[in-house]
Amino acid sequence: MAMNSIKLLTGNSHPQLAKQVADRLGIELAKTMSLNYSNQETSVTVGESVRDEDVFILQSTAPGDINDGLMELLIMINACKTASARRITAVIPNFPYARQDKKDKSRAPISAKLIANMLQTAGCNHVITMDLHASQIQGFFNVPVDNLYAEPSTLRWIRENLNVSDCVVVSPDAGGAKRATSIADRLDLGFALIHKERARPNEVSRMVLVGDVEGKIAILVDDMADTCGTLVKAAETVMAHKAREVVAIVTHGILSGNAIDNLNRSCLSKVVVTNTVPLGDKIERCPRLRVMDISPTLAEAIRRTHNGESVSFLFTHAPTD
Amino acid sequence: MVRNIVVLGGNSHPRLVDTVTNILGVPQCNRILKKFSVGESRLEIQDSVRGKDVYIIQSGAGKVNDNFVDLCIMISACKTGSAKRVTAVLPLFPYSRQPDVPYNKIGAPLSKPPTDVNRTDFTFESRPTTPSPAQPQSQGLTNGIDGLQRKLGKTSLEQQNGSNGITPPRRSDTADSLQSLNGRDRGSSLGSPAAPAFTTHDYDNQAMVNKNFFQAKPGYKQWVAQAGTLVADLLTCAGADHIITMDLHDPQYQGFFDIPVDNLYGKSLLKKYIETRIPDFKNAVIVSPDAGGAKRATAIADDLNLEFALIHKERRPTRITDRQNATMMLVGDVANRVTILVDDLADTSNTITRAAKLLKKEGATRVYALLTHGIFSGDAIARINASALDKVVVTNSVPQEEHCRLCPKLEVLEVGYVFAEAIRRVHHGESISALFWD
Repeated sequence: MAMNSIKLLTGNSHPQLAKQVADRLGIELAKTMSLNYSNQETSVTVGESVRDEDVFILQSTAPGDINDGLMELLIMINACKTASARRITAVIPNFPYARQDKKDKSRAPISAKLIANMLQTAGCNHVITMDLHASQIQGFFNVPVDNLYAEPSTLRWIRENLNVSDCVVVSPDAGGAKRATSIADRLDLGFALIHKERARPNEVSRMVLVGDVEGKIAILVDDMADTCGTLVKAAETVMAHKAREVVAIVTHGILSGNAIDNLNRSCLSKVVVTNTVPLGDKIERCPRLRVMDISPTLAEAIRRTHNGESVSFLFTHAPTD
Repeated sequence: MVRNIVVLGGNSHPRLVDTVTNILGVPQCNRILKKFSVGESRLEIQDSVRGKDVYIIQSGAGKVNDNFVDLCIMISACKTGSAKRVTAVLPLFPYSRQPDVPYNKIGAPLSKPPTDVNRTDFTFESRPTTPSPAQPQSQGLTNGIDGLQRKLGKTSLEQQNGSNGITPPRRSDTADSLQSLNGRDRGSSLGSPAAPAFTTHDYDNQAMVNKNFFQAKPGYKQWVAQAGTLVADLLTCAGADHIITMDLHDPQYQGFFDIPVDNLYGKSLLKKYIETRIPDFKNAVIVSPDAGGAKRATAIADDLNLEFALIHKERRPTRITDRQNATMMLVGDVANRVTILVDDLADTSNTITRAAKLLKKEGATRVYALLTHGIFSGDAIARINASALDKVVVTNSVPQEEHCRLCPKLEVLEVGYVFAEAIRRVHHGESISALFWD
């Protein structure tokens, strides 16, 4: 019997990341074609056999056409399922609708749960994702979910680019406190927290800093930067408390809307994001933007999942380039 | 006035939602349905749905994927908001047409020229390609005669492709077609964004598929995703308890669901139009533009006691040099008669415009087209305007305001009454089939 092997498929959302992961794994991307018909329905064609193979489908969420990307992923999963794949793993570095994870108002949709159900209905056997907005989303699934962390890469970036002893880690909101304290502990640094009151979505209001940042390099740590309202306000708050410099390290640089303008006008000296979300021309438009490549982590997670090895090693170590 | 009912409308077809709520005499459920700046849908339902019978109206046109995900989110929100029952009302069912897999009629894959003759990076793992006459037996020497032969073989193939009457399925000279090209800009996407929009017909056309950067692995025919079951499953998993739709393209689609599906018919509307608006309809001929729609067309012909003709579409790849019209044949007589084309949907309108051309060639005096769903994507409107069709009649199962503005031949039938009545009947537990008795 032929050995079953890794088949890496990708949607249209982030082909570059898929290419990097494939190169890292030393395999070629499977031949697929996905496009929109003129009536805007999505069509997926798989150009090689996936029968009895270990299929990994990488689909991130590019800002803009989230729903198109989602349907493309679902159809692709379903196509592989009906084409007799042995196992289908959805690799979703940036989980869509992760912020709609609770019923915070009457009749508010728990869209993250819906997405989880849809993925399973489509035929997904395993999910690999990264820095979920709320790790409880794992509980929405009845299939294994590997929530990877960008933390090891973040730690490495800090060690390589900043004078560690001068830093203080700041969480821009209470929800991210755990993520920030974890980094502070690993680097043996001080920690501060910003308390914010949110008025409307995508908008931020009053902020209060808890902790001391005076004369330090403040590192703002968060899981995602969308319109960057929070980050910019937080940076101002930190600078108002006499920090020497403020740097933001964010896993998912969604940077939608006028995020780039916000960043360019802000007092942040550097904004470090990973490449879980396609950045396009944003790097040229924002000279403060730095990118950490997390494709080695994803590739290693895929390799380990395929070979049945433990993935938890990746929670503390970043594969070297 | 119907009690204990909530009608929630999506963004796809606000006019129809207005009509339905007016007929039912209930207010529309207040909701906010927008997008966050990332592109994720944002929904807030502002009226209580607890213990209510909820009907969510969302058509499958426009931005199909957005509308579909919105619908699933609405269903799920109502479900978690303790609605008693959630019914999805989809006037046009999204993904109802399964793509044609490139097979011929007896089920064998269509023959196509070997696509990878020039490949040199063979390894131990490579699977051998299926031998075929046009293909050299071995890789040959890189500078030898074989290379020349290969190149010659390729050019002759390309010439054939150019001259065998396969017209590119899209025009780029109409404003409409340019517009839909820019509809979905994915920046740095792998599939070149400049590639022309694809239609469900295009799997027939190997030249089109190959031109689109895509080549299946040698020795493997491609696997085209059939999204039908998936869409059915997704609606069920979102929490829909009941589906109301109209004129499903495949009646078998109902079987994909494990929940009740009420498939309404546009037939009575179309029949009424024929009886009241077509002069001398007694002498008209009902024509089905393809074999798949024959049943729908004969049903109307039988009810009105009219004659029936059928257009047979030859789908085998023929190397004839005539235009593709030659592959369409008319079965039946239409000379000096008024003809009425009946079909369930028109998307690119390729089929009906070509059918109209054929009918006029066979001597028909007037050609009407009666369709339930007028999607009219791509350059369909321009095509219809330029075609031999005299009148196109559709229902407003998808928004038609824009189409009406651009196409003077278009006439729209109001479908809101049918859906309002169906919703009322489902709510009260009355028979739906009684709706379609004559």
